[in-house]
Amino acid sequence: MGRRMRAGLTISAVGHLALLVWGLVTFASKPFAAAESVAVDVISDAEFSQIMAGSKTAPRADAPKPIVDKVAEETKPKDPAPKVSEKPEIVATAENAPPPKPPEPKPPELKPAQAEAKPDKAEPPPVDAIAEALKREETKKKLEAKKLEDAKKKEEARKREEARKREQEKYDPAKIESRLALLDKRAPQRQAALGAILNDAPSLGAPGATAMTLSMNELDALRARLRDCWDVPVGVRDARDLVVTVRIQFKKDGSLTSDPTVVNRSSQPVFQVASESAVRAIRKCAPFSFLPPAKYEAWKDVEVNFDPREMFGG
Amino acid sequence: MTGGAAAALTGLRVSPARAVLRLDVTQGNVQPVPIAVPDFLPATPGDAEPARLVTQIITANLARSGLFAPIDPAAYIERIVNFDAAPRFPDWRAINAQALVLGRITRQGDGRFKAEFRLWDVFAGQQLEGKQYSVPFENVRRIAHIVSDAIYVRLTGEKGYFDSRIVFVDETGPKERRVKRLALMDQDGANTRYLTRGDDLVLTPRFSPTTQEITYMSFGQGDPRVYLLNLDNPGQREVVGNFPGMTFAPRFSPDGASVIMSLQRGGNSNIFVMNLGSKAITRLTDSAAIDTAPSFSPDSMSICFESDRGGRPQIYVMPASGGTAQRISFGEGSYSTPVWSPRGDVIAFTKQGGGSFSIGVIKPDGSGERILTEGFHNEGPTFAPNGRVIMFFRDPGGASGPALYTIDLTGRNEQKVPTPSFASDPAWSPLLS
Repeated sequence: MGRRMRAGLTISAVGHLALLVWGLVTFASKPFAAAESVAVDVISDAEFSQIMAGSKTAPRADAPKPIVDKVAEETKPKDPAPKVSEKPEIVATAENAPPPKPPEPKPPELKPAQAEAKPDKAEPPPVDAIAEALKREETKKKLEAKKLEDAKKKEEARKREEARKREQEKYDPAKIESRLALLDKRAPQRQAALGAILNDAPSLGAPGATAMTLSMNELDALRARLRDCWDVPVGVRDARDLVVTVRIQFKKDGSLTSDPTVVNRSSQPVFQVASESAVRAIRKCAPFSFLPPAKYEAWKDVEVNFDPREMFGG
Repeated sequence: MTGGAAAALTGLRVSPARAVLRLDVTQGNVQPVPIAVPDFLPATPGDAEPARLVTQIITANLARSGLFAPIDPAAYIERIVNFDAAPRFPDWRAINAQALVLGRITRQGDGRFKAEFRLWDVFAGQQLEGKQYSVPFENVRRIAHIVSDAIYVRLTGEKGYFDSRIVFVDETGPKERRVKRLALMDQDGANTRYLTRGDDLVLTPRFSPTTQEITYMSFGQGDPRVYLLNLDNPGQREVVGNFPGMTFAPRFSPDGASVIMSLQRGGNSNIFVMNLGSKAITRLTDSAAIDTAPSFSPDSMSICFESDRGGRPQIYVMPASGGTAQRISFGEGSYSTPVWSPRGDVIAFTKQGGGSFSIGVIKPDGSGERILTEGFHNEGPTFAPNGRVIMFFRDPGGASGPALYTIDLTGRNEQKVPTPSFASDPAWSPLLS
């Protein structure tokens, strides 16, 4: 009995130990292999539509740059404005504000977008000055963004800033956005210096640790290219649920590593024709040289669903 | 034990990783597919002519389908000299050919031509299809249609329809004294031959789905009657059934064993079906209205027909054994000549209203009505064997006469069918092979 107990105990101990060791090894090693996360951007409807609009015109263009620009600008414009105007000045403007106010009561009634234009017409002299001032500001900012030391210009800037502040106070945020949009155009020069700030691609250091995302532009470009190359066989019209999933593996130059492989299967006779049409589309399109090499990790392995259902409706 | 489990778990972990990126492509081209069909190679130089003829027929068939865009041979870079060698794909990619058809025609000692063809996927550099057929010398056109069907089937996933024929009413002479003869031709308008002499007025010929027979209505000597005619022996014809009164609008059942038709007595007409073997007759409708133009569904379970029981002629569907009929057409105007697609998905009809006659389709449940073509006078739709193309006749009015047209089920790709003279009442045969 005692021996048996002992033997049992030993076996149990050894068994548990083995299990523990195995568990340690297995679960400790997991994190290394398993963590292939996919980054997801949450964007608003407005941003989405903006991105979509851009994609049509510039499928070939380097998608990452515009995004960097916008991101960088967004942060900057906000900073310069308060700095230039500064709180004391704002107070001053508030005091000075009353005189200019009389001319401007009309704008408030107008819609924000029109508001800018209307004041110009209503009161040519002051508005022109503002417009000119804006232009100067722009040029100054471009050329002397970092040389804000010029007192006169500062003063002028402050005055305009005052004017702006009034407008901003009176008008909707939409107006500010439009302003920011104007600022965007000047921004690229600054961005050259600041470009790295928010750009995903350069900042990603750890290979595989953080998945890089293709921008909507790049995805759209890839999708558009495949769409152009895909001749949908008519037989597919009658098989509305006929979705063909094809896996594509790319080389860094956008050419195919190997033949595209059809991932799914179907017993429908037309499936063969459909899957061939999908594979043909990919072969016909290759190489996909517009894909950004910097984000190779994101597109080296792609699964495409060729889905004709939407085309032929219900 | 644990080792095994670990291995199993490891196996799971190591299983091929999923692709990094997933993408949906929900739109594609429905443009005609560029295809290259270089002249078939003659096995002996003497057969260059039939080889070229076969090539021309295939090219014309593919082009007429609207789904293919044959590439001008002048653009070809590679000159095909060897049927058994793989083509130089880059040369064909360069002219954007997606598919390439190579063929060879051989005159055999037994009085037959052998046609071999290979269909190549140019971008994959792969052979999609390779077949050979043989036909008697005089049927060289048919071999071209068979090859066309094989290409069509392989590239579209649809059934073919090129190897089929049309029976129609050939019309000659002035408008007041038209001579109407039954005529038969290939689907592309070639090989027309006449089945009747034109002594009697003939109407609504219909193909048997299983035999070399057609049924039609002729005025003959007395009352208009439904006749049967064997294509192999057009001199003999047979009256279908012995009915008191006028029989018309006949059609075969899908198994070819019965003919369904209208019988008119007094002011109304009803639908009857007669078994051609047993001669047994079954009455399917019994109304005081005009029920006519019956057509079986391809599964033989239902019948669609035209009836004015609701006031104006409309389309109804009822069980093939008779019973309650459901009205399926509710648009303005009147509907006539319903015909069930061989695929079963839609019923084609002639619609009259607003001063025009149009051809349309509607689903058997009455939904999804679509007009495919509209004009002064379009009538008598008939489906190609694959249900994708509809042929009908169009009369422009005035002193001229009707002609045959085809249109795709999508309403696109309308084409005139060449006929020797005026033509009406087409009926498409099933596939010959």
